[in-house]
Amino acid sequence: MNIIKLKGISKHYHAKTALKGIDMDIGAGACITVFGPNGAGKTTLLKIISGIMAPTEGKAFYNSRSYSESEIKKETFYLGHKTSLYNALTVMENMDFVCRLYSFKQREKSVESALKENGLWERRNDPVNDLSQGMKKRLALAKGFITDPKVVILDEPFTGLDIRWRSTILSKIKEIRRRGKSVIVSTHLVEEGCELADHVAFLRKGKLLFINKREEVDTKEIYRLFASMGEARS
Amino acid sequence: MSFIGDALTILIKDLLLELRGRESLSLMLFLSLLILVIFNFAFNPDKDNVSSMAAGILWVIFAFSGILGMGRMSVAERDEDAYLSVIFSPVSAESFYLGKALGNLLFLMIMECFTLFFFAVLFDFEKIIGLLPQLLPALFLGTLGFALVGTLFSFLSTASRYGEILLPFLYLPVVVPVILGGVTSMDMILNGKSGEAGKWIQLLVVFDMLYLAISLLVFRYLIEE
Amino acid sequence: MKTDRTITILFFLLLVLIPLDFFLIFRVAPTEKVMGDVQRIFYLHVSLALGALLAFTGVFVSSIIFLWKKKIVWDSVASTCAGIGLLFSTLVLITGSMWARPIWNVWWTWDPRLLTVLILWFIYIGYFLLRGGIADKFKKAQYSAVIGIIGYVDIPLVRYATKWWNSIHPLLSQEGGGLDPVMKKVMLFSLATFAVLTIFLFLFRFRLAGIEERLEILKKKMED
Repeated sequence: MNIIKLKGISKHYHAKTALKGIDMDIGAGACITVFGPNGAGKTTLLKIISGIMAPTEGKAFYNSRSYSESEIKKETFYLGHKTSLYNALTVMENMDFVCRLYSFKQREKSVESALKENGLWERRNDPVNDLSQGMKKRLALAKGFITDPKVVILDEPFTGLDIRWRSTILSKIKEIRRRGKSVIVSTHLVEEGCELADHVAFLRKGKLLFINKREEVDTKEIYRLFASMGEARS
Repeated sequence: MSFIGDALTILIKDLLLELRGRESLSLMLFLSLLILVIFNFAFNPDKDNVSSMAAGILWVIFAFSGILGMGRMSVAERDEDAYLSVIFSPVSAESFYLGKALGNLLFLMIMECFTLFFFAVLFDFEKIIGLLPQLLPALFLGTLGFALVGTLFSFLSTASRYGEILLPFLYLPVVVPVILGGVTSMDMILNGKSGEAGKWIQLLVVFDMLYLAISLLVFRYLIEE
Repeated sequence: MKTDRTITILFFLLLVLIPLDFFLIFRVAPTEKVMGDVQRIFYLHVSLALGALLAFTGVFVSSIIFLWKKKIVWDSVASTCAGIGLLFSTLVLITGSMWARPIWNVWWTWDPRLLTVLILWFIYIGYFLLRGGIADKFKKAQYSAVIGIIGYVDIPLVRYATKWWNSIHPLLSQEGGGLDPVMKKVMLFSLATFAVLTIFLFLFRFRLAGIEERLEILKKKMED
């Protein structure tokens, strides 16, 4: 069963085309990694999937209903390049605010367990500004997961993190997968991206080069593609 | 019920944000004081002419401090795309707008009372404090309109790459009717023509309702990309 | 192309209408007793104001349609109209000033109608400032539609507020007033001419925008 369906999605900015005729089916519980060099349109694609950006052409469906009539935004957790946190507020206040937005009962309990799970409990009264980049990312993830989304969209979740944090975030994402969420991740880290995914897509110059099952894709092929664009990554 | 409740959640968050970050209200108060001092040099008002100038001076200060404050409040949302957590939540765009507008209204009213007080002290114009009960309805209605349009436009202007710099250019012309209403009614009350101010107050009520209605209608278009 | 033919027809129509209009204004219309020849600016001034109002109404309507249908073409309609409205309102302000100088001996008067046009002018300058600051076409369309709607709804409010405000200040001009029947006819003719001119400018500019768009697409194709 497809939870998200994109049909002929294009997006034009002022003088350039970011996406061109993208068709994509995302199954419920699937995990898709979108690879692509910088400027290939990954961010645009993820924003369109999340529902905050409207495509110039084409249509998107969530549970076979067009986006404007669906609950896509309410059931999605989208984390872009920015953290969506209020920097001046403390860790606790950020979490508490989100719980209030979702009118959760027993806010304190769920916030406490979420923070403890992510090793943020000791820092609960520190303003977000004082946290390290990796901590912020973790808080952002914790804040998103506490809302129990059905679709998780992460745009370059590993950017700006050292190896230790990368693996923490990676295991965090795997854990969400096990809970049956649909996950869409964009990255240009081939190892991490392939480890997560059951489907792999490659975006180049706004066009979908391929979208295949993980088993059918050779990691070397992806390296080769990156290398051919002068962007080899390890 | 949850519509208002959600708006209050947003409002409380904004109060907390101000308490922690001190980025909006505190700057507004400071700017108000600064402009007051500059007006003193510029006009050198004395006992005879101060009451004829008061409304004008005060509303110029309200407008510019207000623009600064409301711009900052929006920047706090746009920074780190923090507002996205609201957009992706069950809270409606309208509740979000209302919460932001209430926050702006509250901060503006605090700034205005502060400015009135310092105006009375610095320009030796105690009369204005005595007239406060009469001034308040007009001041409130003017500020309400100001905050309603300002919330919308500050969110709009911070979406462009010019950011909050664009706010006065977009916002001031649109809000002219409210400024006219606010400044004229205040001028009338300060100069012993309270009777005539009544019709301006009614006009402000109409403006406020119109602005509220249209802002609620269009705000949701400002949070899509 | 159908639009092209309409544009051509309107162009030749205007080639007759505009000289005729000027002829009527300067030769046929009687000289006003008090103001003299200067009063003739009035015909242009009012006609331009009508053109501006038409254009801003176009912005308002197409902005609403855009938010409803989300078709980018309505944004092109809106911004084309806004450009014409801005041009005409600039001319309204200039002719107003030219008129004020000999009649009231001032370059500018805070007449509520002129003031309304000035505020409008500011609003639509803001409209274009905002457009310049957003790269994403859709976002740009969405945001400027919001200004197009609010700006238009604001017109009666500004008009009303400035009129009330003006009533407590000395009034320089009176509204309405009886017109000589010949003057009235010339006026109507001038209004009609400028309505046609507005429509012509709109179609012309809109067509041009379409061609620019196609050129851009072709360029993109060549790059690929």
